[in-house]
Amino acid sequence: MNAAVIKAYILKEFKELLRSRLILIVYILPTMIIILFGYGIRMEVTNARTLIIDNDGSKISRDLAVKFRHSKYFDTDIVTGMSEKEALKRIKQARTDILIIIPGGFEKRLLHGEKTEIGVFIDGAFPVRATTMENYVKGVIFNAADALLKQKPKNLITINSRNLFNQAMRDEDAIVPGLIGLILLVAPAILSALLIVKEKEEGTIFNFFSSPIKKSEFIVAKLVPPLLLHSVNIFILFLWATWLFEVPFRGSFMLYWAAAEIYILISLGVGILVSIIARTQIVAIVLTIIITIIPGFLYSGMLMPISSMSGESRIEAHIYPVMYFNHIIYDTFLIGQGLDSEKNRLYLAILVFYAIFLILLGSRLMKKEIS
Amino acid sequence: MGTFLALVTKELIGFFRSWGLVAIVLYSFTLDIYITGAGIEMQAKNIAVGYVDETGGGMSRKILSRLHMPEFQKPVPFLSREALSKSIYNREMMVGLIFGSDFEKNMKRYGHAEIDMLLDSVSATQSFQALQYLQNIVLDYSDIEIPVEVKIHKLFNPNATTSQFMAMAEMLSVITLLGVILTAAVFVREKENGTWDIMLLMPIDPRLIILAKSFSQVVVIMGGVVIATGIVLFGVFDVPINGSLAAFFLLSFFYAFTSSGIGLFVAAVSKSMLQVAQLSILIMMPLIFLSGAWTPIHAMHPLLQDLSLISPLRYYIEGSESIFFRGTGFTDLWSYFAGVIISGSVLYFYGFQKIGRLF
Repeated sequence: MNAAVIKAYILKEFKELLRSRLILIVYILPTMIIILFGYGIRMEVTNARTLIIDNDGSKISRDLAVKFRHSKYFDTDIVTGMSEKEALKRIKQARTDILIIIPGGFEKRLLHGEKTEIGVFIDGAFPVRATTMENYVKGVIFNAADALLKQKPKNLITINSRNLFNQAMRDEDAIVPGLIGLILLVAPAILSALLIVKEKEEGTIFNFFSSPIKKSEFIVAKLVPPLLLHSVNIFILFLWATWLFEVPFRGSFMLYWAAAEIYILISLGVGILVSIIARTQIVAIVLTIIITIIPGFLYSGMLMPISSMSGESRIEAHIYPVMYFNHIIYDTFLIGQGLDSEKNRLYLAILVFYAIFLILLGSRLMKKEIS
Repeated sequence: MGTFLALVTKELIGFFRSWGLVAIVLYSFTLDIYITGAGIEMQAKNIAVGYVDETGGGMSRKILSRLHMPEFQKPVPFLSREALSKSIYNREMMVGLIFGSDFEKNMKRYGHAEIDMLLDSVSATQSFQALQYLQNIVLDYSDIEIPVEVKIHKLFNPNATTSQFMAMAEMLSVITLLGVILTAAVFVREKENGTWDIMLLMPIDPRLIILAKSFSQVVVIMGGVVIATGIVLFGVFDVPINGSLAAFFLLSFFYAFTSSGIGLFVAAVSKSMLQVAQLSILIMMPLIFLSGAWTPIHAMHPLLQDLSLISPLRYYIEGSESIFFRGTGFTDLWSYFAGVIISGSVLYFYGFQKIGRLF
């Protein structure tokens, strides 16, 4: 390899990147994704619009209603005497999420030790929220009932739970580190694929075919600019995560950095492979997005823990490199075992293998002639 | 009218000739929606549980036998607390239950015992749900007489199936994305190929050309909507249709115009397909992720809530949700129609003006 040739080629690439607006996408896209998804995905339910129809109007029923009013999870409206039909219509119009109906004679029956029923209707159009809201409502009512019980129950088992890694169960802590894994897979791949396909589409690739530059030199020259540019993104994304989203960082920064650099190489390898198939830039973009976004979301452990997967999805998760990277990233942010854990060492080795394999495969398949 | 139809036909023929585009549209309206619907599952299911049992069986076994599919995998025994904790730190198990050696003794003597639980709460939603499941299981096991019965009805989707909702939301996102990209592509390709100038030489009102070109892409999108709704939503995922299907198609038709309006704007400011792609991604992503497809609007940051008021996708998604799941009557849908039509006409008109200036 000739260092001077590579240097000249890299300089040319940088100049072109700066001149075309492609440089914008290098820094705007990752930041935009992390901000939008980071704020845009909220599984936690707050301010669920709750309508309580208190047909009893007694002290106990009022106390119960007030418990809902004082919770940050509910945005409570307490009314009396609204008909069930009218209230259900409000759910249909998407003006109410939860409807709680306390029947008349509620207190009287309770004091006599008779069974009573509270009716709860939940808008199930948004399934995860519906389940979460259901649990919240149950929790509030059982707590209130428990406080009323005079005699402590027999055979009581309680769970003494320790939430590890994400004590407050924040959505930001759960989602944002996974987004870094998604972004660093998608963005460098798009850029490296475009840098090569652009020359194909504009016909300038013939300069490469006819010049004495070697294939390896060409590839190095094409990969170094995206690698350097996206290395800066490693730090930018870290900053957004820890400063904007206040995700704690408990592990080793060196491990985070090293793993991210290796992971960018994997992404560049994907980019080369795409550039071999694609002839036009638009196809290159669409193809890269299709093959990176789906594993980045589905098989990354971000939305669904890997340990909960079964069957094919478990196998697929182990095929894509995202899972290995995200394991290390979640460890550096939330868990902090670092290289003490054998699993992290193994996964890091797997990432190195992927990087070498994909880039070698890409270089092997690329042809330096007109096909 | 004849000219208009001829222009639309010309564009449609052009569309069907570029097989790459046809393939992308077909993929997006079928497989992409299928993968999203089938793949994205956010309810806690199939949770990996490990346990350490120092009691020697009996009660702990009875409790463990209540952990079963679909919520839990078969509990895995561990020999020591250290081994269990290591496995959780390596994220192989999500839940670790520890039955201490005095578990049964406490129960017999005091009528009260504790189970220690280690919970990997990295995935906040699933962890929270796992905790709730387990609490319900032990509550059920302890015979507590609570005189209040809570009758919960989850309306419209009683089993809380995520796939139906995800598939619908993905279809709406696909409509947005393709509506913009296809429309922009139709114009920019002519710019790139230089056939734009030939268009201008034709003795036809340029406004008619713009209208026909964008209308042809609306037709393509509507074809995709019919395929996706019929085959994927109803055929594969069995999505309920509690409202009127006609209302949904009408709303989609207006919305397709809205997104093609954005496409016109993108086409006006882009010189090449590459810029179209970049710009569409930059415009689409905020639109899709702040639309309520992932998180309902009223649960978002107040600033984002205000911003979403100008997004046509917000009205489209809420409207479609209401039609498919809530079964809202036609008369109660007017606000969604108004939202889509008003924001849509503003966007379309703006794009129309912007691209019209090129003539």
